[in-house]
Amino acid sequence: MIALGRTIVEFDDFTFAYAGSPTPAVQHITFSVEEGEIAVLAGLSGSGKSTILKAINGLIPHIYPGEYSGAVRVDGLTVRDTPTYQLAKKVGFLFQNPENQIFMFTVERDIAFGLENMGYDPKVIREKTDWAMDLLNIRDLAKRSPSELSDGQKQRVAIAGSLVMDPKILVLDEPTSLLDPKTALDVVNLAKTLNRELGLTVILVEHRLELVSTIASKMIVVKDGSILLQGDPYEVLFSDGLEDAGLSLPPIVELQKKLGTKVGKPALDVEEFVKEVPKVWHS
Amino acid sequence: MALIEFEDVSYKMPNDVMALKHVNLKVSRGELVAIVGGNGAGKTTLLKHMNGLLKPASGTVRVDGRLITEFSVAQLSKLVGLVFQNSDHQLFAESVKEEIAFGLRNFGYQPSEVESRVQYAMRRFGLESLSERAPLTLSGGEKKRLCIALVTAWDPVVLALDEPTVGQDHLNKMRLLALVKKFIEERRTVIIVSHDLEFLWPLQPRTVVMAGGRVVADGPAASIFNNFALLESSGLRQPQLARLALALQSSTPFDNVDEAVSWLKQRYGSYHV
Amino acid sequence: MAKVIYEGLKFRYKTTLIHRLDPRVKMVLSIALFALALLGSNFYQEAITFVVTTVPAVIAKSLRRLMRVVALSVTFGVFVVVINLVAGGTIVESIVLAVRFLEIVASTSLFFVTTSPDELEYVLRWLRMPRDFVFAFATSIRFVPVLLMDLTQIIDAQRSRGLELDKGGPIKRIRNLIPVLIPLIVNSLVRSGELAEAMESRGYGAVKKPTSMNTLRMTLRDWVALAIVLLGTTVLIWLYLYVL
Repeated sequence: MIALGRTIVEFDDFTFAYAGSPTPAVQHITFSVEEGEIAVLAGLSGSGKSTILKAINGLIPHIYPGEYSGAVRVDGLTVRDTPTYQLAKKVGFLFQNPENQIFMFTVERDIAFGLENMGYDPKVIREKTDWAMDLLNIRDLAKRSPSELSDGQKQRVAIAGSLVMDPKILVLDEPTSLLDPKTALDVVNLAKTLNRELGLTVILVEHRLELVSTIASKMIVVKDGSILLQGDPYEVLFSDGLEDAGLSLPPIVELQKKLGTKVGKPALDVEEFVKEVPKVWHS
Repeated sequence: MALIEFEDVSYKMPNDVMALKHVNLKVSRGELVAIVGGNGAGKTTLLKHMNGLLKPASGTVRVDGRLITEFSVAQLSKLVGLVFQNSDHQLFAESVKEEIAFGLRNFGYQPSEVESRVQYAMRRFGLESLSERAPLTLSGGEKKRLCIALVTAWDPVVLALDEPTVGQDHLNKMRLLALVKKFIEERRTVIIVSHDLEFLWPLQPRTVVMAGGRVVADGPAASIFNNFALLESSGLRQPQLARLALALQSSTPFDNVDEAVSWLKQRYGSYHV
Repeated sequence: MAKVIYEGLKFRYKTTLIHRLDPRVKMVLSIALFALALLGSNFYQEAITFVVTTVPAVIAKSLRRLMRVVALSVTFGVFVVVINLVAGGTIVESIVLAVRFLEIVASTSLFFVTTSPDELEYVLRWLRMPRDFVFAFATSIRFVPVLLMDLTQIIDAQRSRGLELDKGGPIKRIRNLIPVLIPLIVNSLVRSGELAEAMESRGYGAVKKPTSMNTLRMTLRDWVALAIVLLGTTVLIWLYLYVL
């Protein structure tokens, strides 16, 4: 991924408590994501990851009011002062359950949904919808009913529905947790492809770090509403504090930590590691 | 005699898709069996035959020697306790206590027995502090634990878990693993349906691989998990340690990271720059 | 009862002449038949209307379905006859009322069986019904199969805890529905919340008058069909009023 150096998402000492809740869900969140990056947000359930994501596209505070301090900026806009529909043009948001983000009776109508809401000209909607379907290889599903589709296909329809709006940022909230391994890998690869070919900045929440450690350019670990660690995936995965966050280390990372590998760049997947072995180990 | 026996079982869905094709499977008392495969492989369909929710189109299914077609779902569920994937499809009671008591009452236990079993289940699964809480307000991990607790409460001969790790974070998965290990220690018959091979790896279970409604492999964990081609074609992801053992051409599998460490140290001596 | 509603309203995908008509024409057709049923004042007129209804039904290859719906509604038809007799009407009058009722069922069913929910939504939009209403209505229909699947899974899960839905007296049976209804309702509420988030994230409400990628367009075939329907209806009305 090519980080273009421009900050596109910025959290500046963001603290938020949902209305009616005495304790903040997240506090003093500070981090930034550069354009073109793939950032992975990780943490246990309830650690505040969803809250952080929802603060990016404005669901917080516009749908979920509460005590809001600090600032969140997206592509120059301050989220708090910008209505959600304007943010919807910058940020595509993908939810965990593909079923609950598809509204219409046919695939193509659902993909067009966002554009219809924005009042685009029908010809433009048609063009963009066709483009998105071609991009995601679902043109042949255009007239199908969403309830007949597989989970992987539904996920693609949802992604297409976000891409039509030409967002700069794609946010995915645990996109793989309800999917089987093959489909999960497809979604992750899709995110990587979209990042590479469209220059989309990707921010995703994922538990299973071994799925995403090789594609991420930045990792942010959240624990109990605060950021525990952030940085380059190598730094984060090999740092000592990770167990504290209750996250599972990919076994290959755990292995290297136990071996005490400190020289050169550690490997993030099995293939990389095996290549390194003969170089640095000899009897 | 096998505790659960599938003999040439085929099952057709309402939309005419064959969800099970000539499945043969035997589960013995005290066994731990993992049934793995991608979505749509037929794993859940298989599970639903075990307590009679589904009846085969052809072939026979026997539980404890008896044909499932001769018994009601309620009768079979007493023997085969199914824990479904989605906890939100089950929980409805006012309190955790009541939730656990529900199944027990349905199965005809007397009030005093219900009370003692509820207490036992809560104690065993660490739910005592939550006993008066409404199940719908619990966290995902707590709900899953509750669902396992309420099934264990009526002490079924077989415990069958359908995709217990879906949507769970690492900490909860570790808790689940500990629960399963305890069941194994108690020599219960446990069947786990899952596509999460990383989770199953430490258990080294007898593994049945399903794809397209068929059983495509049935054997010890080591032989199945090391077969990359088999796993790939069945829509599964090989656990990292298994992949590592293969890539390093180790003759023995690595059950855990420490084994891999000692193997490397042994094979390659010390670590040099 | 539920079966009537389900069978009578469920759209089945077919490519018959009727199915391919503009949904507005299909609506006019059904309204015309409906109107003829109401206007008929004697048995012969109702019977003719009924027979006329079978024509589009046959073209739509849905005659059997329509007949099934009518057959299921016969019990209610008998009820209508009885009530009318008790209220002091004659047998003939009562039968006319019953046939009129069955005709109404048939004509309404004809529309829904040949019109997909998608087309229905376009019609409602074209009728300038409030956007929020149309959206809520369409989304509800879209999620009916999903809810049915949830229901099946919930029933399976509760049966696996020993719940027996087909045992016991009426009161027990109703009580037994609680463990099924509560999860269903709660899941639906959670789902609505997620849908709301998704709607917001896709700019719902950005513009007062959202546009539409596709619009209903009448083709020659549609105009011809419309003409036939209007002409036929006028002829029949004239017949009913002055001849029969």
